Formats: sequence, C-alpha cells, structure tokens
Amino acid sequence: MIDMALRSINLPGIGTKYELETDKKDLVAIFFLKNGNIQMYTLPHDSPTPSVAELTSGEARRLGAILSGAIMEADQESVEIAFSALSDLRISVHTYVMGKHCAGKSLEDLQIRARTGATIIAVSRGDKNVINPPPAFVFEEGDTVVAIGEADQLRAFEQVLLVT
Amino acid sequence: MQGIVLALSACLVLALITKKLSLPSIPFYIIAGLLLGQSGLSLVGTDEVSLFLTHLGLLFLLFFLGLEIKPGRIWSNQKAILKSGLLDLHINVLIGFLAAFALGFSLYDALIIAAAFFISSTAMAVTSLVENHKLLMREAETVVWLMVFEDIVVILLLAFIGTSSEHPLVVLAKILAVLAVILAITRFGKEYIISVLKRDDELPVLLTFSAVLGIAGLAAAWGIPESFMVIAFGTILGTIDPISFEIHSRPFKDVFLVVFFVFFGITTDLFASGVSWIAIIGISILAVLSKLASGLAIGKYIHGSRDSGVEIWSNTTGRGEFSIAIAALYGSTVVSSTVAAMVIVTSILGSFAAKYSKNLQNYLIRPVSKEYLDVPDEGCVGRER
Repeated sequence: MIDMALRSINLPGIGTKYELETDKKDLVAIFFLKNGNIQMYTLPHDSPTPSVAELTSGEARRLGAILSGAIMEADQESVEIAFSALSDLRISVHTYVMGKHCAGKSLEDLQIRARTGATIIAVSRGDKNVINPPPAFVFEEGDTVVAIGEADQLRAFEQVLLVT
Repeated sequence: MQGIVLALSACLVLALITKKLSLPSIPFYIIAGLLLGQSGLSLVGTDEVSLFLTHLGLLFLLFFLGLEIKPGRIWSNQKAILKSGLLDLHINVLIGFLAAFALGFSLYDALIIAAAFFISSTAMAVTSLVENHKLLMREAETVVWLMVFEDIVVILLLAFIGTSSEHPLVVLAKILAVLAVILAITRFGKEYIISVLKRDDELPVLLTFSAVLGIAGLAAAWGIPESFMVIAFGTILGTIDPISFEIHSRPFKDVFLVVFFVFFGITTDLFASGVSWIAIIGISILAVLSKLASGLAIGKYIHGSRDSGVEIWSNTTGRGEFSIAIAALYGSTVVSSTVAAMVIVTSILGSFAAKYSKNLQNYLIRPVSKEYLDVPDEGCVGRER
C-alpha cells in the first residue's frame, strides 16, 4: 500500500519531519515541532516557493480525520462520522447519562438494541470505563454511556431512556 | 532584592515587546542590563542572591544542552555534522582568534573571544527557522547539524577549560568515577525514576531541581569541571525520559536564564579601563563577516550554491547564550564587554537577515558574480533527494 516516497527524520532542537512526495511530484512536509505545534509545508512540483500552515495539535487531528476520509462534526457530546467512500454512510456516536429509570437494570433487561437499533459501546462510571459491556452489565444512576447508531436509532434510544 | 525585581520587570516588558515584533530577546535583556548596571545608570548591582540566581541560569542552560544531546543520533549523522561543522570551526575560530590577538587582547583572552566568536546561538537559529517558515529549505537541515556540531564543541571546551589546579589525569579519573556512579544509578533505578517523574505532585520538579543542583555541588566539592558535569548529567538523564526532565526543568531555565542574561549586562562595564571601542566594534563587525565567509563556504561545499551560503549565514550569524556563558565563565572585564557587544550586534542583525534572506541573496551575491544572473533560479528547497 505504501508506494509513495515517505521519509521521516529527527531534527535536533526542532522536532520530527515527515516528507511525502506525491505521484505528481508535489511535496508535502509535516514538522512536529517541540513546542507541540505542527507546521505543514506544501510545495507544488512547478514552483520553488512552498506555502506553510501552522496548526495546533487539535487542528492537525481534525485535518487528519478529514484526510483519512472520516468527516467528524463534533458538538458537545456527539460526533457524526461520515464515510464518503461507503455511499455516504453516516454513523453518530452520542453520550448519555443514565437516569433513575435504568438504575439496577442490566443491558439484557433493557433490550436496547432490539428496541431501538442503537448499540451501547462503552460505559463510564466514575473514573472507570467499560468498553463493550456484556449483556449482564447492570447500570447505575449517573453512568455515562456511549451509544452508536444512525441518528433515528439514537433518537429512539433517547425515548427509551426517558420512558423506561 | 529590589534590584532583581527591577531587572526582571524590565525584562518582562522587553519580552512582551520582542515576542510581538518577533525579535530575539537575548540582546535586549543584555541591553537592559547594560542600562541598569555599571555601564549605565548604576541602578542595579550584584549581591549574593543575584549571583546565585545567575548561577542557576547557567546550570539549567547547560543541563538543557545536555538533555538535547543524543550520542546515538550524533554518531549516525556524523558525516552530516562533520562536513559543515569543521569548515565552520576552522574559519571562525581562526578569524576570531587572529582578529582578537591583532586588536591587542592577550593570548588567553583572544582564545576565549575566538570561542565566543565561533559559537552561534542554537536557540536563535532554531527560532529563526521555525518562525520564518524555513524548515523545508534544504539549508535547514545543514543549519541544524551545524548547531549540533557547535554544541559538541561547547561541551569539549567546557570540559577542558577547567579551573582545577590538580593533575588532569586525577581530574579525569574523578570525572569517570562520578559518571560511572550516575550511569549505574540511572541504569538500575530507571523504572523507579520514571515512576517518580510520572507523579503529579511536587516530586518530579523537586527531583529535577535538586538533581541539577546536586551534581553541580558535587562537582564543586570534588574539584571537577561543573559545567561539563551538568551537561553530561543531562545527557545521561536524557536516556531515561528527556521529555519529562525538559518539562520539569523548563520553568527554572526560562526564568533563571533571563536573570543570567540581564545580570551579564549589569556586571559588564563597557567603560572600564582597558576596554577598547575599536576592538569592540572590530570584533562585532568581523563576527558578522566571518560567519558570512563560513556560510558561503558551507553553502558552496554542501549545496553547490552561494545563495545557500547566504541562507545559512542569515540563520547562524546571531551569537547568544553560549557565547555569553563562555564569557561569563572565563572572560575578563574586557572580554565580557566585547562579547556583550558582539552578541547584541550579531543577534539583532541576524534576526533581520533571516527575515529578509531572499532579498539579501540578490543584494549580496548578484552584483559580485554576473554569471549568476543567467542561471535560472532552481529555488532553495531541497528537491535533489
């Protein structure tokens, strides 16, 4: 898969440099600076002068997500991921706080996937996280759960949380 | 105490201004010191506290230098480092020494001036490359390796210019013994040290601070070169967890180094007897020209282009922290005045040169060599690889 010319070099005092030459002989160079920022240079094959953008690490991660094909729209507690290559598949990930209604019930009791189509992929309780909780997992009030599904499925899930 | 507060407040204001204008701050700290101290208004003098703080500044500068030194990486890049470094060393040390000697400095003073004359400011070179967005230029790597070479020379200088009166072999034996103990401790205590550094209470900072002071104190008590030991200590700790040590020592370095620079200015007496303004101006001008000569030689030798030489010169002409460290450690009054002036002139001029290096290439080179006008500009960006 890696057939493009990519080289990395450590520059003392400056940071790490990654350099990629594209098929069309354009050059992209990324410098991870010691101050935590990132400088990205692009040099077209037909020009002697590069252009530069300086990014914070957060901005660089967003750029990376866009380039890797997953467009994320982040609001406070949900992200939507769109895979442009998979006929515009859009998946939402949302966090919810479990209320009184669900306390003491297990994942199996609530039948969330069967009823709503959404899936709980992680539960955060205090400073502990449980990834892929088993069916016998019993919720407590105040657990934060991470649910994944289509937007409609997550809306249905929200109803279950309120009504159950 | 009030003196230190006054000096630091002046530096704080200067830091705000210089960062805003992206100018190097070191020369302005020295200018502030000159104005506040003996050469100017005589508002601030030295006392025990300021001496201690400036000493800390020097120690943490050297400790940081040590942390940055990665012997393995230097070994695997020795070709790149030596190629340009030796040219740089020979040209600048020779010009610096001959000029200083001809201008009437004693043999020892001329040697110290030659060393300060040769050592460019690593901090300014790196800042210049990053802030002027020059990292992609092919000269950038050359400049980086050049700075590594100069740093190694600083270390060797500090190791050999000792103040000890003992036989060199005795000193060497002591150095090796201390290094062996440090190596053993860091080797067998590595896991434990890492676990201490990971804590989020006061322990990591306390450990870093007291370790640096401890090694300096030990060196002083045993009569071995303190500067060299602190650098070597940094290099060894760099093998454990360089990033943690950097994070925990950076605040000390940042603050105490500013104290160091401003008090270097305060204690420097530009009007002391024996200070020759002709010598000061002569060395400052030659310091700029000498790096231009070595830059052009390196540019021609490595990149086959004089444009590259101007680029290398513009990023490395600024002298700074290490020149001052050498002057502060070994220099007489006359040497300190000369080095202070040289640092101010070269670093301010260098920062402008680096910003406008493209225009300078035309101005400095085109008029002297007509043939360059006909050569299409292939750009200064590394494509040849």
